[in-house]
Amino acid sequence: MQSNKRARKELLIGYCFIIPAVVYMLLFIGYPIIYNWIISFQDVTAKTLGSSVRDIIGFNNYRAIFTNVTFRRALLNTFIYTVGCLVIQFSLGFLFAMFFTKKFKLSKPIRGFIIISWMLPVTVTALIFRFMFAEGNGIVNAILLNLGLISEPVGWLLQGGTAMLVLIIANSWVGIPFNMLLLTTGLNHIPEDIYEAASIDGATGIQKFFKITIPLLKPTIMSVLVLGFVLTFKVFDLVYVMTGGGPVDATEVLSTYSYKLSFQLFRFGEGAAVANVLFVCLFLVALVYLKTISKDEVI
Amino acid sequence: MKKVHFSQKQMSILLSILAILIAAVFLFPLYWIVVNSFKLDSEIFASVPTLWPKAFTLKAYQEQLSSLTITLKNSIIIAIGSMILSLCLSVPAAYGLARFKVKGMKLFILVFLITQMLPASLVLTPLFLIFSNLGILNTYLAPILSTATISIPFIVLMLRPGFLSMPKDLEDAARIDGCNVISAFLRVAIPIAKPTVITAACFSFVYAWNDLAYSMTFNTKESMRPMTSAIYTFMNQYGTKWNSIMAYGVLLILPCCIIFVTMQKHIVKGMTSGSVKG
Repeated sequence: MQSNKRARKELLIGYCFIIPAVVYMLLFIGYPIIYNWIISFQDVTAKTLGSSVRDIIGFNNYRAIFTNVTFRRALLNTFIYTVGCLVIQFSLGFLFAMFFTKKFKLSKPIRGFIIISWMLPVTVTALIFRFMFAEGNGIVNAILLNLGLISEPVGWLLQGGTAMLVLIIANSWVGIPFNMLLLTTGLNHIPEDIYEAASIDGATGIQKFFKITIPLLKPTIMSVLVLGFVLTFKVFDLVYVMTGGGPVDATEVLSTYSYKLSFQLFRFGEGAAVANVLFVCLFLVALVYLKTISKDEVI
Repeated sequence: MKKVHFSQKQMSILLSILAILIAAVFLFPLYWIVVNSFKLDSEIFASVPTLWPKAFTLKAYQEQLSSLTITLKNSIIIAIGSMILSLCLSVPAAYGLARFKVKGMKLFILVFLITQMLPASLVLTPLFLIFSNLGILNTYLAPILSTATISIPFIVLMLRPGFLSMPKDLEDAARIDGCNVISAFLRVAIPIAKPTVITAACFSFVYAWNDLAYSMTFNTKESMRPMTSAIYTFMNQYGTKWNSIMAYGVLLILPCCIIFVTMQKHIVKGMTSGSVKG
């Protein structure tokens, strides 16, 4: 009886430790997300912002955005950007991870050091790349001109196609070390003796890579890709600071478009609707992610 | 064809040189911002960029000093406020999820896993309306409350494995000596977990310090702007004053760099456990 009471008291204390953080997240993320769905079915503009009674207009906001060319462009752009970033940062991150797991003197310090790009404010990263890819005095044009690869300066951020490319490069600069780090952890978990056994059996380096490394790394690869997708798909700061969605709407993505609708055009209902489309895309991918990690029994 | 064989030592040197080359190319953007912040405008606009300033000058920094006092203060208040708030909530939560067999544990962890993945841009519109109703737009509270949502799930997921692997005997011993649960947590568990808790503090500081979206949206008044949104506004106004922009950028990345260099090992470890496993 005594111990039972004690166990219950213990449990109660346990809840006291956990609940505040959970409630906080539900209050400041959970509730806004639900509220976002409500707004998206209402007529919320600068005029109706202050009033507590707003017209419910059904799917009008969604109809408005889906018939909007810029929205469709933004949706497509978000996917192009995400896939582009994933390809570059995953393949280079993998290459870096393979390289830095080799045992040599400077491997660890240098690997640790390049992770710094992940810690910097994205605002500053965006500014650096804007500066490097500037048309008149940018270092990238200077190098390419010097090497004879281009005959006149390129206005990287002034044309749609190249602006997207520069965004992908800038984001990959942040993403590569992150991918490298996670893949390194995975690589270190593969026991050395499997490789040794394969070597004795006469396996070549390429065979070892495809028959041992890739299959054993599969769970890590899965979670790196899904996590990378989520982190890239939600891009805001980088695009907002580097191109502002331009030129015209060539680099507009869902998050920047949602922001513009809400805070520059004050069409909050439509802004919320765009954010919800972003939410659905993320949610579907997050489900895949949760399924893969629960299979690995990490929770 | 003759295969060249290197001795192990030669190989190590060769790979190290290659690694230095990779790092040099990769970290060039960082070098570039620092170097250009010490140049004069005229040198930046020369047709051939110089890899090292011809005339080394602190002019760009001196120009920034006057405007810096307010934004720097704002950034510090927001980052420290957000750090304290998230630590107070997330460290106990991580401990609770590791130590007590509460019902709904999986659900709680799921809440943190999911909320961690949701971006700021998703909740900007509703939070703006909510904060507007609460009347806390253009106060420090708005960015502090919102940036804490970035670090809380991250810290919970990052600290829990550490608390799980910590031997329970020490706390039990303290309990027998008359400590209650809370003082066992504060006086035994936290001191043991000190390095990871400090790492968590660094992360939450950096997350709030780096934030642009929340601060820019909620605090539109100039006197309330942190450095991130100030540099953005500055750039749109004086888009060609690159040396000033770079100088401002250097000051903005300075705390991150200092934290990174001093805490590198712990940060690398925290990044993996906070963002992957959960």
